[in-house]
Amino acid sequence: MTPFLRRQRALADYTLAALARRRGKNLALVVIFSVIVFVVASAMLFSAALQREADLVLAEAPELIVQQLVLGRQDLIAETEIAKLTAIRGVTAAKGRLWGYFYDRISGANYTVMVPDDPAMMPEPGTVAVGEGIPRARGFTFAQAPLFLSRWPGELQKFAVARTFDSDSALVSSDLVLMAESDFRRFFEVPPGVYTDIAVSIRNPREIATIVEKATRAMPAARFVTRDDIARTYQKLFSWREGLLVALAGAAILAFAIFAAEKASGLSAEEAREIGVLKAIGWDSSDVIAMKLWEGALIAIGAFLIGTVAAYLHVFGTGAALFAPVLKGWSVIYPDFRLAPQIDGMQLTALFLITVVPYVAATLVPIWRAASADPDQIMR
Amino acid sequence: MISLQSVSKLYNEGRPNEVQALRDIDLEIAPRAVTVFKGPSGSGKTTLLSIVGCMARPSTGRVFVDGQMVSGLPEKFLTEQRRTTFGFVFQRFNLIRGLSVLENVMLPAVPLGPDHAALRRRALDRLEQLGLGAKADMKVEYLSGGETQRAAIARALINDARILIADEPTANLDTELTHRFLEIVAALRDEGRTVIMTSHDPRIWEADMVNAVIEMQDGRISGAFA
Amino acid sequence: MIFQTPILALLLVSLLASLVAVWSGWFGLRVLARWNLASGSRAQLQMERLTELVSTLFRFVMLAELVALLLFVFNADRMASLFVGAMCAVGTLNVNPYGFPALYAKIAVFFAAAVWLMLDRADRMGRDFPLTRVKYVALVGIAPLVLLSAGLELTYFLNLRTDVITSCCSKLFTPVNPNLAAELSGLSPGAALWLLGGSGAAVVLAGAGALIRRRGAQGFALAGAVLFGVAIAAIISVVSSYIYEHPNHHCPFCILKPEYGYYGYALYGPLFAGTALALSAGVLQGFARVPSLTGVLPALIRRQIWLSLGAFALFGVAVIWAIVRSQLILFG
Repeated sequence: MTPFLRRQRALADYTLAALARRRGKNLALVVIFSVIVFVVASAMLFSAALQREADLVLAEAPELIVQQLVLGRQDLIAETEIAKLTAIRGVTAAKGRLWGYFYDRISGANYTVMVPDDPAMMPEPGTVAVGEGIPRARGFTFAQAPLFLSRWPGELQKFAVARTFDSDSALVSSDLVLMAESDFRRFFEVPPGVYTDIAVSIRNPREIATIVEKATRAMPAARFVTRDDIARTYQKLFSWREGLLVALAGAAILAFAIFAAEKASGLSAEEAREIGVLKAIGWDSSDVIAMKLWEGALIAIGAFLIGTVAAYLHVFGTGAALFAPVLKGWSVIYPDFRLAPQIDGMQLTALFLITVVPYVAATLVPIWRAASADPDQIMR
Repeated sequence: MISLQSVSKLYNEGRPNEVQALRDIDLEIAPRAVTVFKGPSGSGKTTLLSIVGCMARPSTGRVFVDGQMVSGLPEKFLTEQRRTTFGFVFQRFNLIRGLSVLENVMLPAVPLGPDHAALRRRALDRLEQLGLGAKADMKVEYLSGGETQRAAIARALINDARILIADEPTANLDTELTHRFLEIVAALRDEGRTVIMTSHDPRIWEADMVNAVIEMQDGRISGAFA
Repeated sequence: MIFQTPILALLLVSLLASLVAVWSGWFGLRVLARWNLASGSRAQLQMERLTELVSTLFRFVMLAELVALLLFVFNADRMASLFVGAMCAVGTLNVNPYGFPALYAKIAVFFAAAVWLMLDRADRMGRDFPLTRVKYVALVGIAPLVLLSAGLELTYFLNLRTDVITSCCSKLFTPVNPNLAAELSGLSPGAALWLLGGSGAAVVLAGAGALIRRRGAQGFALAGAVLFGVAIAAIISVVSSYIYEHPNHHCPFCILKPEYGYYGYALYGPLFAGTALALSAGVLQGFARVPSLTGVLPALIRRQIWLSLGAFALFGVAVIWAIVRSQLILFG
């Protein structure tokens, strides 16, 4: 070991001993600091995990969706438009989709009702497949309970529940009801020959822009939404909410920094005497500063680890029980699911900068002030 | 060898509570000898000790240690000089509570980044010499007065200081412990070290092993005896 | 403005750096006016102690800035999916005209601060603080640079609009466009590698010369700076292509992505470290004859030259490894 490292090790040893002697004061600091790290880290991890869920869902979405616009609002689109789209070079397939929202007055929740694209997912007429949120919202007590849907008071339609989805990507599918096409058209009174919108598959993602351009010329009244547009909207939404929470936590970080600065400058008589002794027996200001920085580093790193690990458990263990209402959006049916654990270097770096840097910055000046004690004051 | 040339020291300069602690001191302190500053409290002997020991810079005048001028050095280098040349024993000993005797003794060496095992051995040897070997792992607050002082001496010598500085070392000791202390001082001088003390204890400046006594009054030297 | 944690973290670091720069610049002016080591006065002692604070603050802020530089690039890369047309950091930085200047200013602050910290270190080795004036003149010069960097970064983030269609690296770094990036990508691979090898050899010669003759580290610094420029050009022109295993992909940022094993960090880390050390060795050489430093400074300079050569060697190994393991064959 070089003298530099040995000096650092000796300073760290001394600091550990000093921390152990003032357990109460430092414990309070670590606890408060951990809570702040926990809040910020939970917000970051949770929104990143949501983002990833959304990406997973979108990965299976069609590259392009075409909607019919009437009076600036989305309307049903005619089957005849499909041919216009398949005629464009580069389009692999274009399929009409049927889906809509249904407000369930019984549970007060909104369901998404869809006819699946995938024939394997298509329920038999008279049956439905539902997301896991729906049995919960309806308080089903047994597995084979039928689903009754009522469009207006006094009206009731019965569907057998063929299957319930598990929670893989529950964020988007928990309020989902899958129906056969014939059931869907009858239930929502959608005439044949029209669809909600058209999903277009495109072989080469680099051609999307060109294809949209051509399609716009062929169908001037339609709106074209690409998968990237949706992904962008999701990302903006999630990172905006996360940013908002972090900015709110910023106030807490600031308050904590002031608290830490106050703690660091309000040295107890005992501690001030100790620094006086150290300076008298031959420690330089820079040695005292280094020792105090070790102290700050141990507290900060300890709190950072505790806060981050706790946030990790909170987000991926309990599904962010504390923050879910803010970050997921307001909906009656909260998905009940576990997020896939995931964490990356950038999140940790940003988290570190936003929590540890203000703490260290706030304590530097008080530390320096304590370290600048006159070495001879102990003799006066 | 330490020499001071027309050294003055002002505290709180430019403020209403300005104090002139030292006025125009010229002094030479012999190496490998025991020198005692005596005088009433407020006479400036402790200030003189802190300037001699490179703890404070004089307001005016020059200080030389081994022929090298130290009075104009920045604090950082003054500290470097201090921790390699001087060892300090304070009036109230100033050991750090909550740490063991051994840890306290090793403290002055921390900034030098020494080899831990070697340092530990050196500290234990020194404690052994001073009869504290058995108490090395005890917390300092459980030591008796004499043991505390010997721990402080061990700490002062851990960096192998050539000059030991002691401020009122016997103020809290009974006669027997004072004799014990003087024996230690004599042994250190015989090892070739210089010892500089302040004291208003006659047991000290009447002792045989003291080589020089410098008497202080109102920040000036009022007499010197050898 | 996009409200995101990494952006908030970056702005926070910039804010702190600016505060420190403003305060220490102001303190620097005071030092220049009143520094008098011969005085034993309380004011001088206080000032000496404040220099300790300045050094501590500066080290802390620069460490934070170094992490922030990495985060800035990493975040730019991550945000690419928010902008139409952006595939990597290039697109994000191109969203408005402040992105690249903000990056360049951050890099400039990195080098300036690295050299300043070395100057600080050398100053504190001399018993009479011989470089204090030089150091604070430099600090007064660096402070505006830090502010400029923070200002550019803030302007850049405030003007991030997701509806802007930006261009991706494949559009910027192609030989057909009339701009510098394009010219760099158009540099023929052979010529780029020869230039890189040549300037590498120049660095080794200058370094060996400085080590043997115990002077002339300025020449080494100059060679290091040239190597830095040539290395960036070579990365754009040829090294990145080897990493992408695609002759027409020339982006200097995509190599930082996980898809390419973060290989870029292995290139840029040693390159930046080597250049910063070379520059500071060159600057310090100018003070090797200061009486109170003659005993210690030459050793520090030699150590910096060795470390710098070591870092450049690591860079060289990373380049060669990138070429050797690549499936792409550009020659023969």
